[in-house]
Amino acid sequence: MIKVNDLIKSYSIDGQKFWAVDNVSLAIGKGDMTSIVGHSGSGKTTLLSLIGGLTKPDSGSIVVDKENLLAMSDNELSTFRNRKISFIYQFSSLIPTLTVLENVILPTVFGKQQPDGVAYARELLAIVGLENKMKVYPSQLSGGQQRRVAIARAFINAPELVLADEPTGDLDEETEEEMIGLFSSMNKNKGVTFLVVTHSTELAKRLGRQFKMHNGRIEEII
Amino acid sequence: MSRLNITSLAVKNLRRKIVRSLLLFLSVTVVTGTLFSATIFISSMQNALKIGTYRLGADVLVVPEKYAADARSALLAGEPTSFYMNRDILEKVKSVGGVKKASPQLFIKPTSFTCCYNVNAFLVAFDPTSDFTITPWLEKNLKKPLSGNEVITGRGMPVMAGDQISFFGTLFKVVGTMEPTGIKFFDQSIFMTMDAAYKMAEDSKTKSMQPISLSKDEISTVLVRVEEGIAPDRVAIRIEHDVDGVRAMASDEVISTVRKQLMGLLKGILIISALLWILSLLMMGFVFYMIVNERQRELGLLRSMGARKKHVFGLIITEAVIISGLGGIAGLISGSAILMIFKDAILQHLKLPYLLPQMTFLVELVLGAVIFSLLTGILSSLFPAVLASNMEPYEAIRKGE
Ligand SMILES: Nc1ncnc2c1ncn2[C@@H]1O[C@H](COP(=O)(O)OP(=O)(O)O)[C@@H](O)[C@H]1O
Ligand SMILES: [Mg+2]
Repeated sequence: MIKVNDLIKSYSIDGQKFWAVDNVSLAIGKGDMTSIVGHSGSGKTTLLSLIGGLTKPDSGSIVVDKENLLAMSDNELSTFRNRKISFIYQFSSLIPTLTVLENVILPTVFGKQQPDGVAYARELLAIVGLENKMKVYPSQLSGGQQRRVAIARAFINAPELVLADEPTGDLDEETEEEMIGLFSSMNKNKGVTFLVVTHSTELAKRLGRQFKMHNGRIEEII
Repeated sequence: MSRLNITSLAVKNLRRKIVRSLLLFLSVTVVTGTLFSATIFISSMQNALKIGTYRLGADVLVVPEKYAADARSALLAGEPTSFYMNRDILEKVKSVGGVKKASPQLFIKPTSFTCCYNVNAFLVAFDPTSDFTITPWLEKNLKKPLSGNEVITGRGMPVMAGDQISFFGTLFKVVGTMEPTGIKFFDQSIFMTMDAAYKMAEDSKTKSMQPISLSKDEISTVLVRVEEGIAPDRVAIRIEHDVDGVRAMASDEVISTVRKQLMGLLKGILIISALLWILSLLMMGFVFYMIVNERQRELGLLRSMGARKKHVFGLIITEAVIISGLGGIAGLISGSAILMIFKDAILQHLKLPYLLPQMTFLVELVLGAVIFSLLTGILSSLFPAVLASNMEPYEAIRKGE
């Protein structure tokens, strides 16, 4: 599903060059559930963004679902993201002017709109336990509830790959358990591939392979 | 649930900062309103000028030298006035080369209606035998010449055919009213024959508290129609050369002085409007730049969900188009309202008649104003929209806080 080779992404700060992602190679199979751990600043978010085609590397190659991301035009990349990749961010990522339900169906606006988009959105919201908050605005939700909406949104376009950055960071144990259950069932029933950055040992345990990042470099923990 | 799309996203965004949206809306309203009302105003003035001379039917107007200014305001603004010169000027004018027809008229400024009205009426007496400006109308509508104490009145007078009105102690019978012209000289005037006017003046010495001092050998003006193929202003120059003590105004000249004033006004309005427009373009551009900056993360998130550059671009432009479109429509409405409210005051000040431009022109103007305001929106948000759509999604999301 993901094949990354010799990936390098550097930034210059005050003329000083440093490598946020330093020569990373990685291969993740279809249907894998993989976690990445590492201190903050070690390059985890940058790596996810590279794999999701949100930014370009200095060098190296990124192949997702057999497609070479670096050879795609911006439009092709957008469509690819819309159909195949979903992001769950570590910060609140809901649009404040849209209701919970509208936030969940938002990704469908930029692709071929399925006729049952709204019905599926309701279903997903029910799964994350927010079926009675659909008409509510994000500001009226707690941080944990907002996170659950973002998780529901990640599945609306039936993605093949979910890139999640600390998806359970602000959830209580019980809710975290429910979300892990949702990830597992999406993985089992729909074959969704997960690449998850997390500090939660609970979550890491439930996922398969585990990687650790340090100063932009990555190694697999066996 | 209403359908979610770029337009509804734009509307929701505009509602988020309602005060800011209102400000933008108002600035477009002001600019469009100003330009719209100014254009209508100026074009109606020019219209009035054209029709004014057309209806007047004379190519050259000969008046006493001292009263040129009065004559101009009498004809263009219907400002009642009286001035007189000797009748032998008529014969002298007739003998000037290039003059085809010449006919005298008398202007008498009444002190007030003797009965009850207090209208700014203006008495105009013409000579039925030589007249070529009023008679055609009589022939067409009345089908008989005026006789004795019969008068016809402009549409602006509060009388009807069959009514009796008295001036300076003489009773007149209204036999007809003219069509509305929008020109005060016609709409506020009462037309009678020269004979009737002289008789009224004579009788006023015994019948009226305010007698007219007018003798039979006095006239106010000579209206001239020139020979075909000769320029009125050439004839006017000849008349002034050949006849002493008169001022001969080609109808074009009457208009051109007013037009000069108008052009000055037009320039002023245009400069102000252009400045206003540039100002509001800059303001809108700046505000949309702020909007894009402020929403960087959201726009980046949309991109990560699969929004294309054109979606982000379209979202920003749509917001601008909605605001400026609504602003444009509000500008049209408020511009028309202002025109209506201040019409009379402005006209009083400029001493000009007023005529609405033609319907087709109005439609063009309304369409033009709407397109103009939309263009304002698009132009001002173009740069921010391009900027927004070209942001790298990851950078936008990272820096957006
Ligand atoms: N756009 C950028 N400009 C400058 N430095 C950046 C940029 N993006 C990331 N970085 C730096 O790269 C390093 C890795 O960042 P990140 O991938 O967010 O780490 P993590 O997600 O593991 O905390 C950090 O030191 C961060 O400050
Ligand atoms: Mg991070």
